[in-house]
Amino acid sequence: MAAAVAINGNASSGDWEGRYYHVDQILDRPGPRTDPSFLAGDEVKDFLRNKCKILVIGAGGLGCEILANLALSGFKDIHVIDMDTIDISNLNRQFLFRQKDVGHSKANVAAEFIMNRVPGVKVTPYFGKIQDKDEDYYLQFNLVICGLDSVEARRWINATLVNMVDPENPESLKPLIDGGTEGFKGQARVILPTVTSCYECSLDMLNKPTAFPICTIANTPRLPEHCIEWASVLEWPRVHGDKKMDTDNPEHIQWLYQIALHRAQEFKIEGVTYSLTQGVVKNIIPAIASTNAIIAASCCNEAFKIATSSAAYLNNYFMLIGTDGVYSYTFEHEKRDDCPVCGGESLDITLSKDWTVERLIEILVERQDIQVKKPSLSSPGKQIYFQAPPQLEEATRPNLEKKVSELVADGGEITVTATTLPFNLSLRVKYT
Amino acid sequence: MTTADSQDIEQATATLAYFTAILSDHTRMLTRISQERIWAASGQAALESARILVVSSSATSTSILKNLVLPGIGHFSILDSAITTPADAGNNFFLNARESIGKPRAQEAVPLLRELNESVQGEAVLKDVKDLLGTEQGKDWLTGFSIVIAHNLDKPTLEELSALLWSNPEGPPLVTVRSAGFLAEFHIQYHEHCVSESHSENAPSLRITRPFPALLEWARSLDLNALDPTEHGHIPFVVILVRQVDEWRKSHGGELPKTLAEKKEFKKGILALKVKADEENFDEAEAQAWRVWSEPAIPSDIQALFSLSALQSASAQPRQGTFHALLHTLVEFTKDPAGSGTLPLSSNLPDMKSDTESYVRLQNLYRQWADVEKSKFKELFEAKHPEAAASVDPEEVDSFVKNSHHLRVLRGKRWGTFDADREALGNALASTPREAATHLALTALTNLLAQDTDASKVTDEALKGEVISLVGPGVELPEELDAAIGEIARAPTADIPNMAAFLGGLVAQEAIKMITEQYVPLNGYCVVDLVDSWTGVVG
Repeated sequence: MAAAVAINGNASSGDWEGRYYHVDQILDRPGPRTDPSFLAGDEVKDFLRNKCKILVIGAGGLGCEILANLALSGFKDIHVIDMDTIDISNLNRQFLFRQKDVGHSKANVAAEFIMNRVPGVKVTPYFGKIQDKDEDYYLQFNLVICGLDSVEARRWINATLVNMVDPENPESLKPLIDGGTEGFKGQARVILPTVTSCYECSLDMLNKPTAFPICTIANTPRLPEHCIEWASVLEWPRVHGDKKMDTDNPEHIQWLYQIALHRAQEFKIEGVTYSLTQGVVKNIIPAIASTNAIIAASCCNEAFKIATSSAAYLNNYFMLIGTDGVYSYTFEHEKRDDCPVCGGESLDITLSKDWTVERLIEILVERQDIQVKKPSLSSPGKQIYFQAPPQLEEATRPNLEKKVSELVADGGEITVTATTLPFNLSLRVKYT
Repeated sequence: MTTADSQDIEQATATLAYFTAILSDHTRMLTRISQERIWAASGQAALESARILVVSSSATSTSILKNLVLPGIGHFSILDSAITTPADAGNNFFLNARESIGKPRAQEAVPLLRELNESVQGEAVLKDVKDLLGTEQGKDWLTGFSIVIAHNLDKPTLEELSALLWSNPEGPPLVTVRSAGFLAEFHIQYHEHCVSESHSENAPSLRITRPFPALLEWARSLDLNALDPTEHGHIPFVVILVRQVDEWRKSHGGELPKTLAEKKEFKKGILALKVKADEENFDEAEAQAWRVWSEPAIPSDIQALFSLSALQSASAQPRQGTFHALLHTLVEFTKDPAGSGTLPLSSNLPDMKSDTESYVRLQNLYRQWADVEKSKFKELFEAKHPEAAASVDPEEVDSFVKNSHHLRVLRGKRWGTFDADREALGNALASTPREAATHLALTALTNLLAQDTDASKVTDEALKGEVISLVGPGVELPEELDAAIGEIARAPTADIPNMAAFLGGLVAQEAIKMITEQYVPLNGYCVVDLVDSWTGVVG
């Protein structure tokens, strides 16, 4: 690793005459739609190849593609973060990894591969969580590209980059380019924190509900997924208490599969399999190489255009559906005034006067635009319900059966917090 | 070395080979789980037996191949006589940078592509496609693939290649890809492409207004007043609707709700059945009431296929032939006086508000009746098309019946047909100006480079002149044309990495759809503009 850095570390050492023949056709002259601020020729090339510093979050299906595209496009100072190690099931699309790399850090292996294949490019890996890094770290980059499969991580980086914006300091605004895929579908978008709509603004566009209603899971299961959720959400904590479920542990998956299968048989529901169990509990989104390639290319193209001004960048959402012909839709997603991250206004929620705190929690869990798993609730100066620590949970548990209207006045505020929520969500309650 | 030693080594080698084989199978199985959720085992099997030819090993070509090698095609050939240039070494991820310069490009690329998936075979053929087109042996070889893909091939050669592949109805589809800087397009040439498994997300008919006997019996046997509140709140919406339709018909001379007022009344009638305000199953029934007046016996898309004239060449293709025999059987099925005049029932029941018992009961009723209708379909198939029925894979029939609500038949065009049709070009310029303009600019580029390979002669004026000669005089040219032409003149020979990767994904995806006969592939030209970040279809 160290040796590779030493050889390839000098940004200009790898170049050869004609290397950038293709990209330079774009950088040497403007096109009819290019902004007049474009500095064609040496100046833009110098910025791209010697000054621009870009961060790639995720070195998985999208990340591998992103790194390769950036390196070939002429970005030479690339950083990459990924907390995962390489799994055997990644090899059909994460094309920088081989069998021998299984078990190693994705970020480290990907960085080394790129530096070997594309000389002169420096890729600095970090094998860890994005949450390990602070604002100073994120401030050093010109651009951030996200190729993540986790909603939670995206919400975190989005909220972090929005909060980082200091109106006095234009450098604090870091364009965030986000890509995501599922099967033959995908999307790429450009987020200018505080300026354009952010990731949180569009949370309700995610098409799959992440949670089934608890009452269905507990009382009226109909689908194999309901049985699997029953095993993981209700049975695991009941049987194993505080023992944490590890979705990478085959024994745990096997246990869940058996429990779910048993329940399915009891209810005469068909279709519970080991792989479905794994898919549901790990929330595995089926991904294929081709869609990842399209979306990663789109993200890198936007990064290239932002870094060089060689063409206008995407404003602000590109959506692709490849199941029936090639269909895509490019549009401007609107900012939400009540976005809990960039909107500044609290979210209105209308409740019946009779509804209990428990019912409110269920509603919050099911709402697509909120997406929270175990919310804790409080109002100014009052604890309504806390999921943890155990003493506090016990102390506030009796409130679950109380009506919300007994605890919070009409027009009053409730603050929602959760470990999965990278911010405090504030609700303004209205009763019908 | 003693005999015992060598035996030990032999044994150890054999054991190692054995474990490597197991491990490799295991890897393959695991890596397939994800993609098989998308195109199923049948799609994977089709991919694994596919043989692919890619003409050229440009950055775009190797990007396309990467996305076919990773999911596991059977075999690929790269046909390319080019020697790696410094420019190639700079934009192509599947070359060894500077070390590849001066060496045969395809030969350098093949090992780097093959190492992505050890189960895929690949070869470099260091010949010029022009030479192969000149011999019978060469032509035979070119037509022996599952699909042929060509990137930035010069016009005269492309014309020859497309003519060769079009002339043989059993020959492979041809994907032609053209890119220049931020603009690109690709086209798939095929006579006909039939799809059973289109993976449509539209729900098939639930046959609410044409219920099968067991469903109607359940709906009629319900005594709503006798049910306890829990049971009442869990009657599946399908049963509620069938019951309400039955009641409505009794009081309306057998007719369904037609006018807006009647539809409103029908919906009100459903909600009036609620015994408690929060019975979500009745809300669901009201929300799904559109099925009562908007579900035709046969969806119009499928009806359109029934009157499709036979394609002369189609009968020569065994697979298409079977599909058409099945389609003909479907027409007969819907005409059967003993049947309900519909497509065979789908057993695919959506989730709905209900308790487990009722839902599973309903699911079983649908499944059983779907089996009854499938058997009837099979009897008809055997009677009408005994030869096809004898040779067909039973799974193909099952899949056809199961997907009969979502069948697709695409009729393609030969590459270049669109450009020879001035009326079509004029219409496209008027209806989809940016797609048509971008396509014309790219065709103009191809034509100019065919006249003179010197790219410095590709100017705005030259491109515009070429476009005018294509569309003919007097056609109004949209402003989008100047935007496209200017971008082509800026970078006429640029195969930029992001466009190569973008096309690599798009083209591979369409090739996978063609090979697996699943999902619906492109018909026409897909045009890409990475300045304004859009794609569109024209021609």
